[in-house]
Amino acid sequence: MQDRVTKLFKAIADPTRREIFHALVVASTALSITQIASDFAMTRQGVTKHIKTLEDAGLIYINNVGRERFCNADPKPLKEVDKWLQSYSKFWDDKLDNLEKFLGQKHT
Amino acid sequence: MKDVITKERTFNRSIQAVWNAISKAEELSAWFIDADFKAEKGYNYRFTSSGEENCTAIVGEILEADPYTLSYTWIVEGTKAVTTVTWRLESEGENTKLYLEHSGISNYEGETAVTMFNNFNGGWDNCMSELNTYLKKEAHAG
Repeated sequence: MQDRVTKLFKAIADPTRREIFHALVVASTALSITQIASDFAMTRQGVTKHIKTLEDAGLIYINNVGRERFCNADPKPLKEVDKWLQSYSKFWDDKLDNLEKFLGQKHT
Repeated sequence: MKDVITKERTFNRSIQAVWNAISKAEELSAWFIDADFKAEKGYNYRFTSSGEENCTAIVGEILEADPYTLSYTWIVEGTKAVTTVTWRLESEGENTKLYLEHSGISNYEGETAVTMFNNFNGGWDNCMSELNTYLKKEAHAG
């Protein structure tokens, strides 16, 4: 659980990785490493590194076709992140409930 | 990626009463968390909890404190991720409207995220028990 969330946050913390992931989601089809490298004006090596991090987080999966590696987006794990954000959101709801009670009870 | 949490509340209180509640250390400590806090630009505040162990402190700097906007950085102590909390009040007839914005949430990453995640899954309830204690005291006093 901890490990998964850590990997997810690590994966989406980097702007370039977010862009690559976004490009894959928008493409809604598999893109090869070569294609991504060309789209992002990056070396294959650079792309491969980012892809590995995204793959570790479960955000993409890879199919090998011949010598080329094709990447597909899988946004499902992002629900974990959303759940986490919701915890933060609930935190503020609870605090504002407290504030409401506090303001209601003040005798000034 | 959603990066901002926003909240709105309307209180049947004067704008000054709500402003005091969110900007004065004594009042913050009653409903929010033990606060070493001054609503002065540049002040380094500290939110802690009294008595409870293993509660991570929140620290930060006041960015803006002009009635009725209060803004400060929100940093989980010991981590590098900087987020920002902004409170804004508006008079609406006899009521006061409160807008709360917590931005930069995606700046949390890796370990910080996990620490925070765990904190919010139970830990903070203990850390935030001051209000309950306070309300009980008030109820008995009344």
